[in-house]
Amino acid sequence: MSVEQAARDASRDWQVSTAVVRGAAHELTGLPLQDAAGYREISGGLALAVADGHGNQRHFRSARGSELAVRAGLGAAAELAATLAASQQPADLIVATRAKLVPALLHRWQRAVQEDLAERPLEAGELRLVQREDQVTVPYGSTLLLAVLTSHWLLLGQIGDGDIVVVGPDGTATAPVPGDPLLDGQRTTSLCQADAADSFRLAAADLGSGPVAAVLLATDGFGNAQTAEPWYPLFGADLLRLSQQHGPDWIRAQLPGWVARCASAEGSGDDAAAALMIAGPPGWSPS
Amino acid sequence: MPESVTIMPGGGISRRPLHFFILADCSGSMKTDGRMQALNFAIASMLPQLAAWEREQEQAQVLIRAIAFADRASWHIAEPLPVAGARWKPLHHVEKGLTHMGAAFRLLADALQPGRLETRALRPAVLLITDGRPTDPAEFDAGLRVLFAAPAGRAAIRLAVAIGRSASSEYLSRFVDDPAVPVLVADSAEEIVLQLTTASLAMSRLSEVGADRGDIAGRLIQPSLAGARAPDDDTIV
Repeated sequence: MSVEQAARDASRDWQVSTAVVRGAAHELTGLPLQDAAGYREISGGLALAVADGHGNQRHFRSARGSELAVRAGLGAAAELAATLAASQQPADLIVATRAKLVPALLHRWQRAVQEDLAERPLEAGELRLVQREDQVTVPYGSTLLLAVLTSHWLLLGQIGDGDIVVVGPDGTATAPVPGDPLLDGQRTTSLCQADAADSFRLAAADLGSGPVAAVLLATDGFGNAQTAEPWYPLFGADLLRLSQQHGPDWIRAQLPGWVARCASAEGSGDDAAAALMIAGPPGWSPS
Repeated sequence: MPESVTIMPGGGISRRPLHFFILADCSGSMKTDGRMQALNFAIASMLPQLAAWEREQEQAQVLIRAIAFADRASWHIAEPLPVAGARWKPLHHVEKGLTHMGAAFRLLADALQPGRLETRALRPAVLLITDGRPTDPAEFDAGLRVLFAAPAGRAAIRLAVAIGRSASSEYLSRFVDDPAVPVLVADSAEEIVLQLTTASLAMSRLSEVGADRGDIAGRLIQPSLAGARAPDDDTIV
């Protein structure tokens, strides 16, 4: 595929949908919704993000932390869209991401946390939950999953648990972001840790050599509800089949219901968030 | 029902599995004072309590497995059995049977090796019930090492119930591996039922969260404190 074709592929109509649902177990225990999701258009493309605030009481402001994480990720992607798009090779894009995007989003998140603390200083009850060694950002601890689509590239970045699934035009689904053996279901890497930049896992895809039909970002409340293991191959194939049958706008409308089922007592019972971008098939136009 | 309500891509959804392993002593001494019958009665009484807990919470599906050990260890329930509607098939003591706990640990470790549990499974729970001390001390240590070498074995919520005062709390404490978590002692059939139920419910509740073992101890000592907990009590590495 030529660069021009790839550019057309990246600029075709994408249906984007996000959904965040409070988990049934959170409702039962009175815990707030601690997941967040969002997307925004950036220069020449799109950015999507989801985040999962840690549930442990040590991270008592993680509901706010996940909101700030999504905002920081999308903001940094918009700020650096042109820089990322200018990369010549996937390896260059990874280097640029590690050198610029990751530090930028971490800086934005840390600054946002500081501002939130200035607006709402810790109360006495919260101060009792702070451990002596904790940095000021620890109460806001959150994961972050980010996808940035430019004219040529699909960039994926993740810190902490959750899933990023890429579906090809033939329905083949992959999880390109490398795994992390430190994630054991009870502990996760986090934006709030001192070496957060080193814990970001990245992947980049050249849209010219491998077109993309859909990208799904989901917090672990979504994946932990899925019975199949691994769950994404069947999910990706079904997603594309349903999109071909009903159209991507139908898929977009369904996403909140799917996320709600995952967060229900029939599923993981945990908060669940998802951000989905799905391309229209040839000849399809958005309703 | 409209198609849009029922269709969801993928292989369906379900609650997260909570694998609950029972390690039951069937050595010869278990025939003394009707301990074997008491153990069977206690487990049979415990299962409906676990099933009730499963219904009350919003996250886990409890799956039971059991290992019987005496001269050797073998699966009494080999395949994960949903606790809802589960019926306990009584165990029988082995005449003059020894107490080879190490063999039970090895068998359990096999089931906890990487890839044997679902990646989305909650922390497994392991309940050891015995009336004696291991008759295979060297193998006890070796088996425990094998169990702890498996990440899921190390991470498991582990509790022990000693039937009678002759059980060795020293060995059972090493199995639990936390001085803050008590070995539960039951002297009578009624106490066995109470302790098993208390232990199993505490373990189930704690398996779904990232609670530390001190928290387990607190909940065992003061069961009234036990309640529904956060579903994703995760914290940073």
